[in-house]
Order: sequence, then structure tokens, then C-alpha cells
Amino acid sequence: MVSAKVLGSAQRSENLRRSWYKFSRNRLSLIGLFTVSLVVFLAVFAPVVAPYPQHASAFVDFENASRPPCRTYPFGTDVVGRDIMSRIFFGFRFSLMMGVVVLSLVVPPGVILGLVAGYYQGTWVDTVIMRTTDIFLAVPPLVLALAIASVLTPNLFNAMLAVSLMWWPWYCRLVYGLASTLRHEFFVASAETIGASRFHILFREILPNCISPIFTKMSLDMGWVILIGSSLSFVGLGVQPPRPGLGTMVADGSKYLPDQWWIAVFPALAIVLVVLGFNLLGDGLRDMLGAEEV
Amino acid sequence: MSTKRCLWITLSLLIVVAMVLAGCGAPAETPPPPEPTTPPPPPEATATPPPPEATAAPPPPEATATSPPPEPTATTPPPPPEKRVFRATFAWPTYIDPAVGSDFSSTSSLVNLYDSLVFPNTEGGVDAHVAESWDVSADGLTWTFNLKKGVKFHNGSELMASDVAFSMNRLLTIGEGLAYVFLGTVDSAEAVDDYTVEFKLAQPSGLFLISLIRLYILDEEDVMANVVTPGPYGDKGDWGKEYLLTNDAGSGPYMVKEFPLEEYLLMEKYDGWFGEFDENAPDEVRFIATTEAATVRTMMSRQEMEITDQWQTVEALEALDDIEGIDIVAFPVLTEFYYMMNTRKPPLDDVNFRRAVAYAFDYDVAVGLEWAGTTQSVGPVPAICAGHNPDVFVFERDLDKARDALAQSMYADQLAQYPIEVHWITEVPAEEKWALLFQANMAEIGINVVIVGTPWMSVVEEMASQESSPHIVTIYVSADFPEAGSLLKVRYHSDAAPTWSQNEWLLDGALDQRIDDALATVDEDERYAEYRKLQEDIVELCPSLFLYDQVQKHAVQSYVDWPPARGEVIPVMGYTMFAPAIGIMGP
Repeated sequence: MVSAKVLGSAQRSENLRRSWYKFSRNRLSLIGLFTVSLVVFLAVFAPVVAPYPQHASAFVDFENASRPPCRTYPFGTDVVGRDIMSRIFFGFRFSLMMGVVVLSLVVPPGVILGLVAGYYQGTWVDTVIMRTTDIFLAVPPLVLALAIASVLTPNLFNAMLAVSLMWWPWYCRLVYGLASTLRHEFFVASAETIGASRFHILFREILPNCISPIFTKMSLDMGWVILIGSSLSFVGLGVQPPRPGLGTMVADGSKYLPDQWWIAVFPALAIVLVVLGFNLLGDGLRDMLGAEEV
Repeated sequence: MSTKRCLWITLSLLIVVAMVLAGCGAPAETPPPPEPTTPPPPPEATATPPPPEATAAPPPPEATATSPPPEPTATTPPPPPEKRVFRATFAWPTYIDPAVGSDFSSTSSLVNLYDSLVFPNTEGGVDAHVAESWDVSADGLTWTFNLKKGVKFHNGSELMASDVAFSMNRLLTIGEGLAYVFLGTVDSAEAVDDYTVEFKLAQPSGLFLISLIRLYILDEEDVMANVVTPGPYGDKGDWGKEYLLTNDAGSGPYMVKEFPLEEYLLMEKYDGWFGEFDENAPDEVRFIATTEAATVRTMMSRQEMEITDQWQTVEALEALDDIEGIDIVAFPVLTEFYYMMNTRKPPLDDVNFRRAVAYAFDYDVAVGLEWAGTTQSVGPVPAICAGHNPDVFVFERDLDKARDALAQSMYADQLAQYPIEVHWITEVPAEEKWALLFQANMAEIGINVVIVGTPWMSVVEEMASQESSPHIVTIYVSADFPEAGSLLKVRYHSDAAPTWSQNEWLLDGALDQRIDDALATVDEDERYAEYRKLQEDIVELCPSLFLYDQVQKHAVQSYVDWPPARGEVIPVMGYTMFAPAIGIMGP
């Protein structure tokens, strides 16, 4: 096991080159990287690249309602005349925000609890933390999220909160498994022998060695969090109109299937694109970071 | 590793596809089709005989020759099925207790399960029904009705005057549903003898006779044999409320056969009914609890239902119209579409704020989204309602006036702190369009609007109290009898404030008194004059946006002989679904 080392710049670039080689030898990973970059670009620059940025807010244009895909509206318009392509670009924003916020909310507590429980394996601390995670894991994730989101006011923030509450146990379990193995390693024993503090052992010795599986899981989870967020939006518990959540758009469009197929199909394809992109990227990162199974 | 990747990709695809399919829905309430996942087959040519029944027992050729001619298609009519079934969809829930139900699906069920003393006709008046004749005292306070003899309830016992009195007393005591029609008007009801019932009124009323179409007569014996004690009504226990949730105690043309709540209401023909059935009247009537467009369309194209609910979007109806053998029937009714503003909830408690909202809304676009022939409402009463005032002030979109009104309101500087919540009914998907239009219109004058799709059941619950009533609810309200007074009372009288037909919470004692006085005026001209004045004054208060007079529209199978399709409309809510008058000649 290695901890932080000072590397020469030559060695650093050599490492980067190797990592890139590992990542890029799988074409699917490259496709994932490209897809995610594209989605991030479209989301960040939505006000510039979207043909009709005003269609993402309170806007109606009934003269152009329910237009099938054409040159003016490449993905068509919905029943109140809003350009679906523009709304999808803005929808990416909410999807990405969902992923980023949820993961930044769940990873720190999940990781810390996992570290503590793993280090104190076999004690009451371990029992309390891990049995609590078991309780959360026992409930089907979407059901738990739906239950929480429906109790709260339906909006994007509460949807994020609901997904966060069901997601942290996975990180806790992952880090618990890693930490409970690492605590028996020599470098941990050595640190204990020289009188290092518990804080130092947990966060300077054990945690750095868990980083790559955590990152890999995060990149793979992005897609899933976005999917669950879209599911909540689909049932009306996520992004609220007129803001364009991808799930909300699919739900709205489904009322007009199959005649006005474009209203539901393009947002649905957008969800596929985002989720697939993050999963492929996550696979590539796993290959690169050398974490075999997360 | 690659297996896992494949699994992830497949799973993500599956979930997205599932979301799309979830929107499509499936006809869950109908008898299970052989392959629910296959797309609906194109409608069979009408000349093709329907497979199972026809081959099992082909009807004699004379039967088709003598059967009535109103087949709307030019092709050979299919032989009549062994059992005539009438199926229609509705926005649920349905309450079949005459003292509880009041909305479209409930009244449509009540008219089929129960009889009333008088029955509405297409001219806006009433005909004798269970009552054979009636008299009114010189002071207008005592009404005496002589009943027909031999009218039998579904359990075989005879309908007596005591049952009529019981039904009125039960309705007044429970006080829910359609009770508001009689509350404050009727003092007492009692049986003089077996076939004579007498009502004492608190004050003379020009509307009492017509309002009796909403007194559905229950079998006292049957109800009292099924009360649950203890209950909220003292020695009467629950007064049969639990029993009447899923059972009927009526004498109407149909009786409850099955009623799995939240799924469907199945009624079967009551051969002992004293009235006359159409020659091709259905043997079974099934009201199905869905308005979901894809389900409705699938069922219509498979001829698994006869008439759609009235809440299908214009787009959905146009698509249905393209299917061979399905026609669209549209007719004006006593219904108006309102944006009901809660006048007790800031910032809508300020009349200037409400005026700003009324001026900012784009009525022309809103009306243009509806079925051709729909017109903007003139005041709080639909134009076809007797006593309508055609001269009240009509708001039109004028952003300058909207901004002026807003500037005069006390919330002018605090718009950001007072977002308005608009609840639209999810069972009526088209309402979202108006909600989005409203949101966009209000954004132009700086009012922040949050729109929330809310299921009908939740809307009814939240409107039961002032605290839980949202800022604005978008609802269609229909007059319970064809006079302006009916709507004025249900929309703006305090008695009806905690019901779904009112979100304004005006709670204005003086207005209540004026409505009561108008309803009590026996002279028709005087009564109408008072209605007209009331409409003017209500518009002054600007408690609601009066969007449009509804043109009720349904997709109908061409093998159905439906009176409204022939222009014979009883415009009172529920009566268009009076099954004995509907002829079923297929599929």
C-alpha cells in the first residue's frame, strides 16, 4: 500500500499517460467521457446553446403547440408550444445538479460512518452504525425516496434530500468493508504503535487507501441518482413546472402518446443518454483506478 | 466486468422504458384482454360479426329487421349482442349515497340508482316522476305531493311517502353533498298518509319544485336495517352511510351489482322499475374509474367502452375522432370553468390584487384552447342558465390596467414574498395548459405563480377548510338545476364554502341573505332580476376568473344511440348519463 509520495514531474506525466492508456483502451469509456462532456457542456451553456432559452421558464406559445420535429424545432414542441430541445438542455442542468448535490451530501457522512464502524469493528459502535444502515438498505430505495418526498413539499431540493437519505448507506457499507480490512495492515498498526491519534489513523492512513473505490462508485452512482431523481420528477415529486425536469417532461408527454410521440420520447432518450454516459465513464474510471469490483 | 456493464445499461434502459410505458397505462379496469401488451387492433369493420356471442347464438334475422333503425353508419349493423352493456369512464371517486355524492360521476350514478319525485326535462323544467301530482298552499310554504302507487324498491318493498320524508330528513341532517339545495329552505318533511308527503318550507321558494330533482328517495327500511351504531347521528348511528358507500337502497332503473371502490361501479338493469326503458337500453352499466388518455383510447378502439369521460383533452378527442366508428358529441351544459381565488389568503385578500390577476389573464388564448364553439363566460353564471345576466362587466386582458391595479394593491412592493399557488386537477390533463398560460401571464406583471397538479380527491379534501384551501383552484362547476340561483348559492353562499364548489371563502353574511332572498322569491321575473343584480355585484368583488362556459364533449361509439347526440340534452349534471334513455346497438 502506498501513501502520498512526492513524484517527479516526469514520473507524474508517465503515470498520467498510463492511466489514460488504461482508460482509453476501452472505446466505450471514451464514448462515456464524450457523452458526459457533451451533457455538461450543454447544461452549463444552456442559455447560449439552447435555441429558445426563454422556453425553460414560464412561457406559452399556443400557435406553435404540438409541432412535430422540424427545422425550427428539431425535437418538436410540447402542447403549450415550448421547444423540447431547449427544455432538454435546461433539464440536463437539474439532472446534473441532482447528481452532484446528492453525492456531495451522501459521500461525507457515509464515508465517515463507514470508516468509524470499520475501525471499531466488533464493538457496539460497529453494531449501532451498521444495523442502522441495514435498516435503510432493507427498504426498496425508490419506495423510500417516494415516501420521503411525498411527505415533504414537492420540489427539487426535497427530492435531493429524499434521494440522499436513501443513498448514504451504500457508501457506509463500501468504506466499512475496506476499513475493516485495512485496520489490520502493518502501516495502521505502526501508526498506532507510535501513538498517532485516532483522527490521524482514520483520515490520514485508512481513508487515502479507500479513495479510488469511492471515486469509482461515485462516477457509477451519478447515473443512478439522476435516474431516481427523474423517477421522482415523473411522479410529480421532483422538479416543478414550468422548470424542465426530464422526468416531468416524460410524464407530461406520456399523456399525448402515441400521436405526439416526440414530447415524451426525446426527454426519455435524454435520460438514457445521461445515465448511459455516466455508467460508461464510471466503468472507464474503474479500469483506470484499478478498483476491481465496487 | 462486461456482464455487469451490460446489466447496468440494460437496467437503465428498462427503467426509462418503464417510465414511458407507465404513462401509457393499461386498461386495468376492463375484463382482461388476451394480450394486454400488444397494440390495440384496428377497429373491425362494422360488417364483421362479433366473434363469441354471435357464433354461439346467432339472432334470428327478424330481430335485426324489426330493431329500431338509428344506426349511424351506412354499413350493415352488427347483430345485437345478447347482453347490452354500457361502459363509460369517469373522474373518481364516486359516492352513491344521495346524502354524500355531488360531483359528475356521483350524480351520474345517483340518477341511475334512485328515483326522485320529479324528473328534469330538456326544456329546463320538470315532469312528474314518482310524484303523480302536487299542490302548493296559498302562502307558498306547504307543498303536498301525491305519489304513484306500486313503485318498488330494488328489494321489492313499495316506495311510500314515509321513505320520501326519511330521505329528506336524512339529507338535511347529514348536510353533505347536495344537501345545500334544501338547507335553509325546507323546515320539515312528513308523510300525511302512505302516498302523500308534505314539505313545510321556512320561506316561499320559486325553486323548490325544480330542486326536488336532487332528492333521491331511499328505502327507509333497508337503510335502517343496515345502520352501524354507535355513529355520529345519535340513535340513528351512522344513518347507513357505511352501507350506502357500496350499496344502494333505491328504486331506480339500475341497481348496484359490484362496486370495488376506486375501480368501477357495475350496475344491472332493474326490471321492476316503474319507468320506461329505451328498447335498446343497456342490461348492464359500468362506470370505470379512469380518465387516463391512453387507457381510454385503447378501450375505445377495442370497443371495450361506449362513451368517454368529458375530461379528455382536445388532442385526445381529435385522435379518437380519427378512429372509424367513433364520433365526437359536444353540447353546451350548465357548467362554467372557474379560477377560484381564495379571498382570505394573502395576497388574494386584496381586491386590487385580484383585479390585477383578472386583467392580466389572456382569456382569448384560454378560450381558443377549448373545443370549437366555446365562448368566454360573461360573469359567474353560464349563458344558457335561466337568470343569466348578459350585461355584467367582462374582464379582458389589459396589462396596463393590470399593472395599475397591482400598484394600488397593498402587496405591490412585496410580490416576491407572495407567490400564488394554483392547483389544477390531474384527472383533467388539459387544465395544465391553462395553468401554464396563467403562470406565463402573471409573470408578465411580476406575480410569481407556482402550479401544482393535484388529484381530485386531494382537492376535495383541502377545500374542506379555509386554512388548507390553496390560493387558486381551477374547477368546473355545474348548476344542480337550470337556474342562476343554483350556481350563485353553491359558488358564493357561506353554506357551501367548505365544499369543492367554492374556494373563494367570501363568507359574506349580507350576500348570503341576498342569495337566500332571491331563491325565495316566487315571482320569476323578480327572481331573475335579483339574480342579475347579484351577478353584477359578485363581478365587482372579483373573487374568481370566469373562463368559459363549458361545451361538454365525449367520444361515443357509433353503435350507441345517445340522446345528446340527437340534440336532446338534459343539461343538469349527471342526467346525460341516464342509462334507460341510452340505446346500445353493438358492438
